[in-house]
Amino acid sequence: MISAANLTKLYGDFTAVRGISFHVSPGEILGLVGPNGAGKTTTLRCLAGIISPTSGKIAVGGHDMHDDPIEAKRALAFIPDEPHLFDYLSVEEHLRFIARLYGVPDVDRRLPEMLNELELSDKRQSLPGELSRGMRQKLAIACGLLHDPSALLLDEPLTGLDPAGIRRMRETIVARAERGTAVILSSHLLNLVEELCTKLLVLRQGACVAFGTMDEIIAAHPELAGLSLEDVFLSLTSEGMEGAGA
Amino acid sequence: MNALIYLTWTSARNRFITAFRRVQSPRYAAALLVGGVYIWSLLFRSPNRGAAASFLLGRPSEALITLLMVLTLAGSWVFGADVTALAFTQAEVSMLFAAPLSRLQLVGLKLFRAQVAVLINALIWVFVLRRGGPYLPSPLRAFGLWIMFSTLNLHRLGAALVQSSWRQHGRVGVRKNRWSIAIFAAIGVLILEGLVINRDRLIHAGGIGEFFTNLSDILLSSPSVVGLWPFHLVVAPTFAKTIPDWERAILPAMLMLMLHSWWVLRTDAAFEDAAIEASAERARRIEAIRSRRAWGVPSKPRKASSTFRLSSAGHPAIAILWKNMLCLRRTVQLRLFVGPLAMAVAFGAAVSSAGGDVAAFISTSAVTFAGILLVFGSRLIRNDLRHDMLHLPLLKALPVSSGDIVMAEVASSALPMAAAQIAFVVIAYVAILMSTRSPFDPRMRDALLVSAPFAALSLNAALITIQNGMAVLFPAWMRLGTGVSTGVEALGQNVLGMVAHFFTLGIAMLVPLLVGWISASALHQSRPVTIAVATIVAAVLLSAETYAAIRFLGRALGRVEPLQA
Repeated sequence: MISAANLTKLYGDFTAVRGISFHVSPGEILGLVGPNGAGKTTTLRCLAGIISPTSGKIAVGGHDMHDDPIEAKRALAFIPDEPHLFDYLSVEEHLRFIARLYGVPDVDRRLPEMLNELELSDKRQSLPGELSRGMRQKLAIACGLLHDPSALLLDEPLTGLDPAGIRRMRETIVARAERGTAVILSSHLLNLVEELCTKLLVLRQGACVAFGTMDEIIAAHPELAGLSLEDVFLSLTSEGMEGAGA
Repeated sequence: MNALIYLTWTSARNRFITAFRRVQSPRYAAALLVGGVYIWSLLFRSPNRGAAASFLLGRPSEALITLLMVLTLAGSWVFGADVTALAFTQAEVSMLFAAPLSRLQLVGLKLFRAQVAVLINALIWVFVLRRGGPYLPSPLRAFGLWIMFSTLNLHRLGAALVQSSWRQHGRVGVRKNRWSIAIFAAIGVLILEGLVINRDRLIHAGGIGEFFTNLSDILLSSPSVVGLWPFHLVVAPTFAKTIPDWERAILPAMLMLMLHSWWVLRTDAAFEDAAIEASAERARRIEAIRSRRAWGVPSKPRKASSTFRLSSAGHPAIAILWKNMLCLRRTVQLRLFVGPLAMAVAFGAAVSSAGGDVAAFISTSAVTFAGILLVFGSRLIRNDLRHDMLHLPLLKALPVSSGDIVMAEVASSALPMAAAQIAFVVIAYVAILMSTRSPFDPRMRDALLVSAPFAALSLNAALITIQNGMAVLFPAWMRLGTGVSTGVEALGQNVLGMVAHFFTLGIAMLVPLLVGWISASALHQSRPVTIAVATIVAAVLLSAETYAAIRFLGRALGRVEPLQA
């Protein structure tokens, strides 16, 4: 459903992402982890078609992001860590805007459901400037989920959410995956990654140092056996660690 | 070193270093050069500067500026003080207000910071006035200007503090500030009394020149002069024409400055609460000004109470047009158009027997206004890529081709602007039908009416496309969305942008105009028909060029990455 082959992104002389390859099938949740500056957001932006990779191939739902970007984008939703919203569209107008862009057929039925699900019903006429940080994040999530994407890219999706919102977001991610959505979740919250993700992709300085299920990663790095995910993460991303995908 | 002085010094130093580094880039260096030349031409090269300065330093100007000062300051008391006089940055609120600093120290910082603006203002005016009137050394004039601007600044800050005290303490606050209120009330009564007594001289003035001469005479005679006296003390050193005049004026002015300092520093206001509120207000104003939503600022953001529905079926690019139309509806400020409208009305009155022929007056004003909108409209309405480039990550993730995005963005500004211009042309047409002396014969009138929509649509589309093209191709040269740059190089960028804008339009119009005129001439029809055909052919060709440019910009937008924008 989401695949990247030899994905590389350069900014001038700086290599933000170097030759990473992976595949996320329907129903899988890939945890994208790595220290600050490892290339997680750049990877997600390449996958979302926001920036073009310097080399490599990306496909979403069988559509190549370079050759058929419109159809590839139609299949996915990207929810960034900082909600990007239009200042002068209300909550409801944001959803109608997305509905038109993605051709959501039964928007009048789905819109109240979505607003209820994310506790935005009371705020449907509010502009983003009138919303709290958490509410704006919820609106960004609603925009991402409205068209039932078959590929979901989440960059720190819990930032700013209250405890109830966090729980609901976790449930939503799992439910979407169970319905066949391929999910990539980038987060520094390792307990969240451990709880939700079926696979891990660990990045360090733009390169993949581990990829696979937890068992596959341990099998490739036997010295990490018995360690917590946090310790595994710290070991894999420490300076002395040279690694490759599991 | 005192922490506040350290903060001010290091901030200024780092700002200068940042600006200096930026100027090492060729584009900023070029912009700085152009901006510098522009300022130099304004301050140093004006051939009529001496005459202008003599006029500015004349006695009527002195009286009028004194009155203007009274009105400005009285406005603070009648309509509420400008609370942003108390504003700090958000970082200052977070760090300084939580620090063990006294209220006096914070007020002192505010006054110290204001001195930068005061000194720059004084410097500019010294240049403007330096050859005006009889000789007065520039340092003396500068000192007079510094006292005037400093006193004004102190008064503004004091008024904000006093009104904050009113809000915080209610009647107790009013009682505490009773002397301030009483003084201004008395001044207002004296000035008004003078104006009322002599109102016939103003009402029956023969012209605008006589009106202002009479007004200055009234203000300089009793009882108005008594009310203006304290303000006159403040401005007198600036308007002194000789050194003895200045020497006589400077001590009372300094006394006024000291009185204001004492007043501000002793005002017992809930400074912190007011300053935090003012800081939030200032942040909102900066946001509004940066996005050019307003010259003034609405007190609260407009509610999204009503909308027009968007069907979920159809071409997705329409959603972008819909979004931008909502943005326009919620952000456009009619006051933006007051200046252009006033110019159009003035021009209409000037060419229609001072408004004697009402129909001709309306017609001329409407056409002039449409013309002003055509030339400057693209700078007044910016709900296109110039606004949306800062939402580039969001735009690029949408399942819409880049070409369609550019098309929708251009249409978002071009369509409403063209519609407004066409509406005013129609108003002019209807008005001219009622005029006793039409400048055109009926067939020419009809030809202009028929060709106006074609011209308006194609020209607006071309103008907006050029602006959007600059935003896509040269984002560093454009003011995008909320981003704003200040300084001489920003001024230079604006000048260069304007030149590039009209130069590109001129180039784009060459072929369409030529082909339009040749093809229309080949028909050997009457002049009205020739003009209409030439305009329509040129409009069609210009639209074709614009369409090609939009497609090109679409490909360019596809290559732009958010980090570049």
